[in-house]
Order: sequence, then C-alpha cells, then structure tokens
Amino acid sequence: MKKSSNDRSRTFLLITIPIMALFFCFNTLPLIKGAIYSFTNFKGYGSYDWVGLRNYIDLFQDGRVGGSYLFTFKLAIVATIVVNVLSLILALGLNSNIKGKSALRGAYFIPNILGALVVGYIFNYFFTYILPAIGKAAGIGFLSSSMLSNKNVAWLAVVIVCAWQSIAMNTIIYISGLQTVPEDVYEAGSLDGATGWKKFKNITFPLIFPFFTINMVLCVKNFLMVFDQIMALTKGGPAQSTESISYLIYQNGMGGGQFGFQSANAVVFFVVIVAISVFQLTVLGKKEEQL
Amino acid sequence: MKEKDNLNEKVNWPVTILLILGLVTVIFPLYMTIVIAFKQPSEMTNSVSGILSLPKQWSLSNFAEAMRVTDFWHSLGNSALITILTVVISIVVHSLIGYAVGRNKGSSKFYNFAYLYIVSGMFVPFAILMMPLVKQTSQMGLDNWVGVIILYVVFYMPMNLMLYSGYLKNIPIALEEAARVDGATTWTTYWKVIFPIMKPMHATVAVLTALGTWNDVMTPLVIMSGSGMTTLPLAQMTFQTQFGTNYNLAFASYLLALLPILIFYLICQKQILNGVVNGAVK
Amino acid sequence: MKRKTGRWLLLSGAVLATLSLTACSGKSDSGKTEIELVQYKPEAVEVFEALEKAFNETHDDIHLTIESPSDAMTILKTRFIREDAPDIIGIGGDVNFSSFVDSDMLMDISDYAGLADIKQAYRDIDKELEYVPEDGVYAVPYVANAAGILYNREMFQEHGWEIPETWDEFMDLCEEIQSEGILPFYFGFKDVWTTLAPWNAMAVGLADPGVCREVNRGKTTFTEEYREVAEKMLALLPYGPDDPYAYDYNGACTAFANGESAMYTIGSYAVPQIKSVNPDMDIDSFVFPVNEKEEDNVLNSGVDLQFSVMADCKNKEAAYEVLDFLLRDESIQMYLDNQSAVPCKEGDFELPEILDGMAKYIDEGRMADYQDHYYPAEMSVDAQIQTFLMQGDVDAFLEKFDKDWVRYNRDIIRKVEAYEKEHPTND
Repeated sequence: MKKSSNDRSRTFLLITIPIMALFFCFNTLPLIKGAIYSFTNFKGYGSYDWVGLRNYIDLFQDGRVGGSYLFTFKLAIVATIVVNVLSLILALGLNSNIKGKSALRGAYFIPNILGALVVGYIFNYFFTYILPAIGKAAGIGFLSSSMLSNKNVAWLAVVIVCAWQSIAMNTIIYISGLQTVPEDVYEAGSLDGATGWKKFKNITFPLIFPFFTINMVLCVKNFLMVFDQIMALTKGGPAQSTESISYLIYQNGMGGGQFGFQSANAVVFFVVIVAISVFQLTVLGKKEEQL
Repeated sequence: MKEKDNLNEKVNWPVTILLILGLVTVIFPLYMTIVIAFKQPSEMTNSVSGILSLPKQWSLSNFAEAMRVTDFWHSLGNSALITILTVVISIVVHSLIGYAVGRNKGSSKFYNFAYLYIVSGMFVPFAILMMPLVKQTSQMGLDNWVGVIILYVVFYMPMNLMLYSGYLKNIPIALEEAARVDGATTWTTYWKVIFPIMKPMHATVAVLTALGTWNDVMTPLVIMSGSGMTTLPLAQMTFQTQFGTNYNLAFASYLLALLPILIFYLICQKQILNGVVNGAVK
Repeated sequence: MKRKTGRWLLLSGAVLATLSLTACSGKSDSGKTEIELVQYKPEAVEVFEALEKAFNETHDDIHLTIESPSDAMTILKTRFIREDAPDIIGIGGDVNFSSFVDSDMLMDISDYAGLADIKQAYRDIDKELEYVPEDGVYAVPYVANAAGILYNREMFQEHGWEIPETWDEFMDLCEEIQSEGILPFYFGFKDVWTTLAPWNAMAVGLADPGVCREVNRGKTTFTEEYREVAEKMLALLPYGPDDPYAYDYNGACTAFANGESAMYTIGSYAVPQIKSVNPDMDIDSFVFPVNEKEEDNVLNSGVDLQFSVMADCKNKEAAYEVLDFLLRDESIQMYLDNQSAVPCKEGDFELPEILDGMAKYIDEGRMADYQDHYYPAEMSVDAQIQTFLMQGDVDAFLEKFDKDWVRYNRDIIRKVEAYEKEHPTND
C-alpha cells in the first residue's frame, strides 16, 4: 500500500510541477514585470525613468480612476445579482418537464456564442435607434432618448448587455448542477412533503451549491474585467460615466502614453480582485462544507 | 435517460410557453443582425422602420464583399487551427492539473496553494500582462500563433481547473481505489478511469475554451500583429474603424464569423445539454 | 494505456511542428530588398493597395509591402515594444508623432531630396509638433485635411441660403434654417472624438496657434485662451439634434447624407463615408466663421498623413525610393481623388470639389494645425468636451482642463523647462 501511495504522490507532482511552471512563466512572470513597470514613467516604447511611488500617489488622487472603480463595482454587483437570479430561474424552467426541452436549451445558449463585440454592436443599434422609438411610441419619457447618451442610465445599458450574454453560460452551469441531483432525492423529499420554494431552498439549492460558487466567482470576475462590451457600446462615455477599470488601463496604457501609470492601476486592481475572490472562495467554500 | 422518465409525467405547459415567449429576447437581436447584414448602406435610415424592415432584396453582395475584405477563408483556417489546438491541449493539460490538484487540495497544503495560485490567475487583468507578454513572447520567438495557443492554455487554466476539480468531487474516489487494488498505477488509472469519466466535463471545457478562443481579439492582435496571419475576429476589426464604419458589411461579416462556431455548437450541444452529467455520477 | 497517451502527445507535437513549418515558409527569399510600410488610414486601403502593386511592378530590386490595419497605432506601438518596427510608417501629424520623435524612434531624413517639394507651411507644422526643437527632419508631410463645416449644397441653393462669413451671420443662418423646419446640424457626439472637430475648427480661429506650447512654458492658461471656444461650442447645441450624444460618427454621417440636416461640423475626411451612403450628394464646405470679422477666420488644416522612416531601418536608399514613388504627382492625385484631401506637395493638383469653399484659405495659406494634435491622448480631451457639453459649465471645464494638463504633461513640461534654461532667449 505504501508503494502505491508513493507512486500516487510522485505522479501528482510530475503533473503539477511542469504545468505550474508553464503558468508561472506566462502569467506570474509578466505580472511581476508589469509591477516593475508601475514604478516607471514608461510610455511603452522609448526610454524611461524610475519615478518611485509617484504613479501610486497619483492613482489615489485621480478622479478618473476613482470613477472607473465606482462604475465597475456598481456594474459587477448589479449584473452578478441579475444574472444569477435570472439564470437560476431559467435553469429550473429548462430543467422541468417542458416540451421541446433540448431545442429551447439550445436556443437560450445562443447569446453566449456571439462575440462580445458583435453583441455590443447589435445592442448599440438597439439602444440608439430601436428603444427610443419604442419609448416614444409608448410614451415612456425616460426611454424616448437613447440610454447610451444619458450618463445616469448608460451603465444600465451595459448591465443589460452583459446579462444578456452571461445568462446563457450561467444557466448551462446551473443545469449541469441540477442534473447532478439524483431523482431519488426529490422522491425522498416529496415523501417529506417538500414542494415548490421549500423544495428548492432545502433540497435543490444546497445540492447545486458548488455550481453557485462557480457562477458567483465567474460572474464577479468577468464583470469586474468588463471590456469588450464597453468598447463596442459606449467607449467609456457618455461623459466618462462608463469607463471600466480594464478599459481605462487599456485605453491609456496602450493607446495613450501612460503605460507606467496604468501598470500601477493594474497592480492595485489585481490586488483588489484577488482579495475579493479569495474572500468569495473561502466564504462560499465554508458554506459548501456546511451544507 | 431522463427523456424517458419524463414521458411518464405531465408536460408543464405554462413554463414551456413562458420559455418560448422569453426567446424573443434572444431572437430579436439576431433578427436585427440578419436584416442589417443583408441591407445596403443606403437603406439604413436613422429610424426603426428603416432598420427593422426586411431588406429590399436578399442580396449576398455584402457577404461576398465581407469575405473579400476579411480574407475570409484564410482567417477562418487560422481561427480554426488556433481554436482546435487550444481546445485539444487544454483538455489534456487542464484535466490533468484538475485531477492532480482536485484530488489533493483537501489534504495537502501544497496542492491547496497550487489551486489558489492558479485560480487566482483568473483575476489577473489581461491589461497588466499585455505589454510584458508582448516583449516576452517576442524574445522567446513565440510572437506567432504558437505563442497565442500557449497563452490561451495558460489563460483558460484557472477556469478549467475550477471546473474539473469541481467535477471531480462528484466522482467517488472508490473508483480509483478499485483500479489501484488491481495493480494499476495512478497514471494509468487516470487515463483508464478518470479521463473517460470526465467526458461530459471535457465537452463543457471544450465549448467554453473554444468560444473564448474563437471570439478573442486582443491576444492575437497584440501577439501576432505583423506576422501576416490574422484570425476571423481580428479581421473583423477592419470594420471597427473610426472613419468609414460600414455596419452592413460588418454585420454580414459577423454572421459569417458566427456560422462556424454555431455549427460546432450544434454538434457538441447534444453532449453538453443532454448527456452533461449523465455518465458521471452513478 | 501509457502508450496511448504518449501517442496523443506525439501526435499533437507532430501537428504543431508541421504547422509551424508551413507557417514559417511564407517569407520570400528572392534577394530583393524588403520594405515594409504601415500606414494608419484604413479607409485609404484601396489607394495603397494600388500603389503597392504599381511599385512592385516597376521595381525589380525592391519589394514593397504596405499594410493598412485599423487600430494601426496600437499595432505600431506593440511592434515597437517588440523591436520589430516596419521600415516606414505613415501616421498623422499629431501627438504620437511628437512622442515618437521625442523617443528617438524616427530617422533624421533631412538629406532626403523630395523634401524640397513639400510646402513650407506643412513642414513648419511638423516642426511645431516637436516638444522641444530637435535637429533634423523626421517626416515627409503627404496630405493634409481641412475641417470646418460641410454643407448640403443642393439644399442651400434650394433655399437660397448664403455662406456665412462671421459668427453673427452664422448664428442668423442657423436660426433661419431652423425656422424653416430643417435641422441645422447633425452631431455624432456618441463617438467622443467628433466633439473635437468643431472644437478644433473654432479654436484655430479664436486661440493662439501655439497655445499649448505657451502653456507648457507657463506663459498662459487655457482658462484664458479657450473661454470663447467653449462658449461658442455651447452655442451650437440648440441647433443640433435633440439628443446629440445618441448618435455616433457613422450615424451622423448617414443622417447628413440622407439630408436630415443642412450642415455637419466635421472634416473633409468624412466625405468618403458620407458618399458611401449617398454617392450623388453635392457636398461643399466652408471655414468655421467663428470671428466677428471674416479676415480673422482661419482654416483648420493639419497633416493627415505623413511618412517617417524608422530609426532602425536598414535600407535607407530603398526607403527613399519608396518615398519618391509615393510622392510622384500621379500617386498623390490618385490619393486625392479617392480621399478628398489636400496635397502637401507643391504643384498643380486638382482639389476635390468639396473643398471649393475652403480653396481661398488654402491658396492664401490662412491655415493652422489642429489644436488637439498637441493634446496627450491619455488626457481624453474629447471625453472632457463631451462631459462639458452635457453639463454646460464653462468655468468647471476650463479649470479641470488646466489642472489635468499639468498632470498629464508633467514630463514634457519638465523637458521644456530644462530646454528653456539651456536656451534662454526667444521672447
């Protein structure tokens, strides 16, 4: 028995070490290099000087950076809630005894196939031309002008587009979760008289909790890094009200001459995101164990 | 197997109807896309009826032009090459690491660290990696599609590791122990027992990775630019210009870019949507 | 089982190897000198494809490749990082050029004979763009564009509207157009950069052309120089669509092309886009009448495309030969016909019709460069103007402009200060 456990741990190490090395080389190493650039005034080309902590000091006084954090978090929180609620409902619906189940599931997954850029452009049209016309016809005041041109509601448009696309994937993950729930659990549950909401809350949901964890983490991460949709929908406007953190880093780091400064922004962003994700994983992981 | 069981139960019509109605949200934007793709710029007035009406004639000229401009067949070939290789390598590499880490992270600090280390990689903003990666891949001679594939394998590792190790929780360790008692090594056990049993997750990973890879613009843009090779979405960027955006052409091209992945999806859909978890937990 | 895995890996390895071989075999080793040119105007791709073909047909010793990618700036900057620059770049005379010169990326081409044929005015514009005066010449200006107001000539003739020459006449005209139930302007302010078109066109008439340099030298402030520009920007809004931020550039071009507005505050570069919607449209232009007196108005014109040889280009002679070819009269005329531009080369070129209303200014050389060619990209002045137009607070806007300017130009200002210290003179 000892021999085989040795073989086991050796095999695991032989698998893990090279793959971790690969990961280090193309993820951690460039991250470290990026962190080093954050102490320079590098433009991305040409020569550069060390500027110490200047970029970081600037960062905390920069209104634009602050605005982008506010927008990004607002978007991530709202979109995560909307997406998870809707996709859980959708998954329950698609997993119930419906006619044309596979066709419906297939159709609902389509948004996820489209590239975010395409989706952005389609909705760009929708928000600019279609929705205002519908709003005017229906006499709904706030809809009669383009959502994308109003700095108070443009972020909602971004939420809608993000949700439209993400719901498909989250639904699929929830459905895979629902299918891991064996029928006999329900049978046992129905003997105990569990139905409807109670059944969902006490039986289904705890059983699919690992999938909820995955969805939460994926959602928050994806929305915090939202980029393509901004690029296609608003380009950060109107009045810089929808500049996501990633968009700002890309826009000014690559396009502008702020690579050093935006590297500092990215480093802080990274720390924030890791903190959030570790928090999520620990809290949800603990919950998982309890259930 | 579930389809059969369902025959015994009543079809839930209210839910079916609600779900069909809900499909409008999916279909409407697609309808718009198709209509725009078939129109000429002169038909695009700034009004709803102008955009939503059916095109005057169903001409394929936009598609022909889009194919010409984006060098469609070449771009398609490149995209397919990159996507397929990324998917294949990802399934092999990510299921292995998912297995190694997933089986041990509960009992070992090292593997728990490995798990957190790789998964936290998911939260590294691409923007911070972009410039250093461009320099690094170029120094290593990887500023081409090979480098792009390696980067994808690394980028998708966190997500796929999570999926695989999450899935492994539902695979009883007793299965492996049974094989081990028969004298099989861990490596053999993996390929003989675990890898096949994870097939549904392979399908999910394949689809997720393929979709991400297929639709990605940034990585090929910064890594491969100037290598004379272009991918389908990268070619789409030809239309994303400030001066002279022609939406009709662009939408035609998007539809073209969409078709291959739609076909791929239709083929894999059965494995995902019907059989996803079936063979696994028993 | 192990064998099976091995085969797997071997197979993927073999596939990889084969494919990398095929991928690498694309380059020709015909012994010709390879010259690669990347230019940043994708809308001119057809012209450059034709020029590339014509060049290669007539040259046996040099093979020219011209690339016209969209988002060329990102691609170029990426390739600079990779130290894989092309031989020649075709970019605009803007802040990127300043930055490349400052970073010693470009070759001094003062020995290039073709420079003698370029109008001095445009060479001066390029000189002005350098942060601090450098020795040498770093670009050959190719074509310029002009920005002001495009108008629907047919509609103007139909209603008997006169081309305004002063700000008052202009405002009266807008009033008149509006009273006849026609929209005077269309705006595409959803794409923030379009706010810069009227901004630049008015700023050249109202503010000192060297304002940014003067600010860098601490001689003046934007609050002082730009107040009138900002106020007059606001004055345009009532004559635009209800929601000027709803439509993008493409939408605004489409609307103007379909006769939904009488005028459009944009540059000559928009004409190909407008004509793609309505090929028969009769478009003309006039200089932004932003002053009380006609003689104070200035045409907003900058270098739209210029060529620079990269510092690490190995075949200077071949690169010069390519430049010679591009600067032939027939090459330039071809570009002008296709892109509605103004040539930078001396000579008898046929100006595009749409510049009729601006021809006088071009002939007289009453032109000044786009002010935004001096704005650092990361400051996003365009987005700031959009914000300002929404809020309408001139003071807040100008105050922020001055504050941000200092922050985003810190390194440049320090450089200018150092230069001034070493070269105390001028004024």
